[in-house]
Amino acid sequence: MFLNHFEYFAPKTPAETLELVACLGSKAKILAGGTDLMVVMKAKAISPDYLIDINGVEEFKGIFCEQGKGAVIGTNTKLAEIQFSEAIQAKYPALAYAAGEVGSSQVRQMASLGGNSCNASPAAETPTPLVAMDAKVVLSSILGERELPLEEFILGVRVLDLAEGEMLTKFVLPEPKLKSACRYAYMGRRDAMEIDCVNMAVTIELEDDGEKVKNIKLVMGSVYPRPLVSKEVTALLVGQKLSDQLIEKAAEAAQGEAKPIDDIRASAEYRREIVKVLARRLIKEAYTDAKGV
Amino acid sequence: MEKKVLKSKWNLTPEGWNLEGVPSSQDEKRYTQVGRSVPRIDGPIKVKGEAIYTGDMTLPGMVYGKIKRSTYAHAIIKKIDCCKALKLPGVLAVLTGDEAPNKWGIVPQAANETVLAVGKVRFYGEGVAAVAALDEETAEAALELIEVEYEPLPVLLDPFQSMERSQEVLIHEDSKGNIMHAGEQVYGDVDKAFAECEYVLEREFHTNYPQHGFLEPHSALASYDTQNGQLHLWASSQIPHYLHRQMSIVLEIPMNKIRVTLPTIGGGFGGKGEAAPSEFVACLLSRKVGRPVKVVYDRQEVFYTNKGRHPCHMKVKMGLDKDGYIQAVDFDNTLDKGAYSGWGIVVLFYTASMIHLPYKVPNARFRGRSVYTNKPSTGAMRGLGGVQPRWALECLMDEMAEMMGISPYELKLKNAIESGHTCINNMFVPHSEFKKCLETAVKKSGFLEKQGKLPFGKGIGMAGGYYITGTAYTLYQNYKPHTTVMIRVDTEGGVTLLCAAAEIGQGCNTVMAQMVAEELGIQYEDVHVQSGDTEIGAFDLGSFASRLTYAAGAAIKMACVEINQSLKETAAGMLGVRADQLVIKNHEIYSMYEIKKRISWEKAIEVYTSINGTLVGMGNFSPPRRKGIDIISGNRVQGANIGHSPTFGFSSQVHEVEVDVETGRIYVKKVTEAGDCGTPVNPMCVDGQVEGSIMFNIGACLYEDQKLDASGKHLNPNFHDYKTPTTMEMPEMDTNIVESYDHSAPFGVKETGEGAVQPTFPALTNAIYDAIGVRFYTLPITPEMVLKALKDKKEGEL
Amino acid sequence: MKKLIELDINDRIYEVAIDARDLLIDVIRNKVGLTGSKKGCGDGDCGACTVLIDGKPELSCIKLAIASQGKKITTIEGLVQEGGQLHPIQQAYVDHGAVQCGFCTPGMILSSKALLDRNPDPTEHYIKHELSGNICRCTGYKRIIEAVEAAAKVWSKEGVQ
Repeated sequence: MFLNHFEYFAPKTPAETLELVACLGSKAKILAGGTDLMVVMKAKAISPDYLIDINGVEEFKGIFCEQGKGAVIGTNTKLAEIQFSEAIQAKYPALAYAAGEVGSSQVRQMASLGGNSCNASPAAETPTPLVAMDAKVVLSSILGERELPLEEFILGVRVLDLAEGEMLTKFVLPEPKLKSACRYAYMGRRDAMEIDCVNMAVTIELEDDGEKVKNIKLVMGSVYPRPLVSKEVTALLVGQKLSDQLIEKAAEAAQGEAKPIDDIRASAEYRREIVKVLARRLIKEAYTDAKGV
Repeated sequence: MEKKVLKSKWNLTPEGWNLEGVPSSQDEKRYTQVGRSVPRIDGPIKVKGEAIYTGDMTLPGMVYGKIKRSTYAHAIIKKIDCCKALKLPGVLAVLTGDEAPNKWGIVPQAANETVLAVGKVRFYGEGVAAVAALDEETAEAALELIEVEYEPLPVLLDPFQSMERSQEVLIHEDSKGNIMHAGEQVYGDVDKAFAECEYVLEREFHTNYPQHGFLEPHSALASYDTQNGQLHLWASSQIPHYLHRQMSIVLEIPMNKIRVTLPTIGGGFGGKGEAAPSEFVACLLSRKVGRPVKVVYDRQEVFYTNKGRHPCHMKVKMGLDKDGYIQAVDFDNTLDKGAYSGWGIVVLFYTASMIHLPYKVPNARFRGRSVYTNKPSTGAMRGLGGVQPRWALECLMDEMAEMMGISPYELKLKNAIESGHTCINNMFVPHSEFKKCLETAVKKSGFLEKQGKLPFGKGIGMAGGYYITGTAYTLYQNYKPHTTVMIRVDTEGGVTLLCAAAEIGQGCNTVMAQMVAEELGIQYEDVHVQSGDTEIGAFDLGSFASRLTYAAGAAIKMACVEINQSLKETAAGMLGVRADQLVIKNHEIYSMYEIKKRISWEKAIEVYTSINGTLVGMGNFSPPRRKGIDIISGNRVQGANIGHSPTFGFSSQVHEVEVDVETGRIYVKKVTEAGDCGTPVNPMCVDGQVEGSIMFNIGACLYEDQKLDASGKHLNPNFHDYKTPTTMEMPEMDTNIVESYDHSAPFGVKETGEGAVQPTFPALTNAIYDAIGVRFYTLPITPEMVLKALKDKKEGEL
Repeated sequence: MKKLIELDINDRIYEVAIDARDLLIDVIRNKVGLTGSKKGCGDGDCGACTVLIDGKPELSCIKLAIASQGKKITTIEGLVQEGGQLHPIQQAYVDHGAVQCGFCTPGMILSSKALLDRNPDPTEHYIKHELSGNICRCTGYKRIIEAVEAAAKVWSKEGVQ
């Protein structure tokens, strides 16, 4: 199966890229890894007139991780680089793990962190932990930049808060809080090459006493048109010392919030079950980790 | 010891194969080539990427063919308009179904498929037209320009619904009730036997709709010579001969004007065990445009058209006497045939034959029907006809052992057949080490120590199985030998085996080289194998029914008798000894009495060929033709010739699983297998077949299923939603080849390629039961099913 | 309109005329004529088309040829050593019976090379994790894992490139 004909651009600098994005608008698609884009183009689901290949732009790649200052990750940083980055593994293990579980080694070598968010698939892996760790995205255009929490950037299935002429250029990750931990997990039929039926990330920050929850953010993927941040889990657990009963209650609350669909990969009913299981497991794990036990 | 040298190859007996007068089984040192784990002869070119598959080939002037596919699962074709397509620059020809209306099918009595749909389409994705164009892009663009008008018909996707609504809609006009074929086989007095049984259990089982998932899509390259009317087809097929026959029917060209050549084949598993429309389309288009035409499917087309495993809806009832001996089996099977007949009748009656082994069953009844539906046809898939009933029977026996309060191992061992067994349908088992398989797998896995004693969520299960080593009959009425080989020896070409066997990845070329070398007293590296060509090679039925090692082995042995005799006579003259005192071994010919009297094998060849020219030996193999009868009454039974085989392979598996009881995920942790494949010609290849078989059916048991929506459109025609196992799903595997030698078989060999898939479903299903106390009767066993069953169980316990 | 580009494949520069939409697998197979890389699915799901790009495994069936300019592309044909000797991974695949039909083999070997380049002393889990994008239907994977483990041993001894 052939792709449609398109015009191909390979800018070398961010400025050139933004110029092209401004000129070509929605008739263009940005080509980073292409692991999603090429497949949907082959299926003729989309047929863009222009492709802007950003792989020649060095500024869009790289992990900048400084002690105490969070991290900045370029939009076209490959998932394999994140998977194997010692800095990310140390500071954001949930992100390194999630990146390392995407597709296959080849997919991770090609696919970019930005693409995994911009594809805006409900089943995407990395947006879930990124939202849980309060990551922001930087959207750039020839007119300037704006910064937005990732959870406000992804609006729905294949829908982004992206103005004409704008593109995602980097992720800004805050420094993890003291006495905090983030954990990620997913469920599918296989342990590789999987499109998750549910994925989830939980960040827990503890009070100085190392027992009470100061803050908790539970994010669910694949059960809502975009990454779903649980309100009820936060409401239930903040200020609490966690017990098994409380965790169970929180897990059930998350389950109540999830709005999954039936499809070939899993039924809505099963997804809801899994939400509860993963929530229970992740809250426990993250809590234990945050306590440093 | 008296030596007997047979002058004529035609009066060979199995004993006569051993020209040195010592049965090879009693002379372990005799084999120097057979029984060695030598690397495959095609290994190096494959790892270098130099092996040529059909899709890799280009011929001068070659153009490209593509097929337009139906977007309805059941519809009358009102009109096909190709005008626009023909006007597209670069398009050379268009083809529609009415240009080649002759029906094809591997079983001629039921052949009902056409190259492209004629009059109506019967499944989503069926070919309706084809184009030939200068390049692939033009061919693809031309398909978009072909306009087809359909009148939709009701879509029948379930066999029971299909039978029920047959008054209203028929998929094939000549198949009443939408039934392709129905049959009944009764042996003994089943009802009386059940009445006298102490333990009787009946269960229903439903299997899924997996596909082979071979990695190389169907590919064909045809070149028709308009001057002399010769057609040459290169195709990724398992059955060059049956393909050859059907091409002759469809194209109306005599077989002697057609040549089929197999390049390297990227896997088959039965999926290339029938002709494919790609092959006919390439031929027809080539004849039309007078240039070579290549047709290569994409993965989606493979999913649309390839003939996966029959979903079976089975009712199985078994009765045991008070001591646990099987007295009767009653088996009712409804098979989902899909749109066309293909292997249909054969699969129907294979499922029938499966109840007779590997346990002694004195009374048996089968009722079955294969029912048309508007799905891609089902066909031959690794372990054809065996996998579904084996699953049902082995699970049922697991349950019955529990009823009796004994171990399933004890029940199975008690009923296991032994060498020399004749089934009630007259199937004869010359040799069996099935008991040894059961014992080995159970002992090595610690089954008896673990079953019923593992913590909740962990479980162990066992099952046995068997499979044929080739069939007794061809698929069309004919009693010719099933395999013929020719071995050519001279000073220039060395030793060349010429045959039409299909190397599809299973390693038959290596194994045949080992067998030729063994018989000729040389090294396997010295043997050139020219296989998979209907013109160069002699006749062979193809790669299916796990037949090749046995059939080719027998024919090779016969061919070598002639060669060895000629060489011995030559050497005898040179050495001044009697020919029947000579031994050929390790590139030497020597007197067994005067060991100083010896010459090199090459020297003998040189002398022979300088007088006579090239030395040629021919050999062939005809399986014993046993009739399918009720051995008590002596009456013929419909369909009961199917299932007979020269000999049978046996195996047993023990699976250990962990079930995540919160998510329902099943993790297969360890598989212990023991197989009776007779002599393993190449033990490494045997292990590879067995390991591959286990993963193949772990996939179909837990992950794989083709899904269609209500209109018959595929929901997962790709490898991201049709989930084959990856490396991450691989369990620890301990495979064991039990000591076995079948005296009735060449080199003592039996099958191994399909037997090892048989016990996988039931061993795994029984292990899941041991883990969570739930028995599953539907496949695949998904996490959702596990969770639901656990929930139901909990509610039931409250 | 076709465009002339240069591709560096196995240390040789090929000049090919392509459309922007042409995929790397098709250009490598049909225009350059290196047919060792296989097309098993065309959707990036099976790994048979795997090639190394600047040493990293990528799926050439969902990669634009035009986007592969200026990079070092290695296909299975580029692995053979001086004098036609097999690369130790290739040799291990042959010796351990890790090859059956051979259609997944070129991609599988290149993925194996990439994982050993990154980690010459891999655990079994690491091998499985990094090879999980290469589907094999024949072998059940066991011998493939063994072959990679064996190649790793040779690797650490001889320090192969």
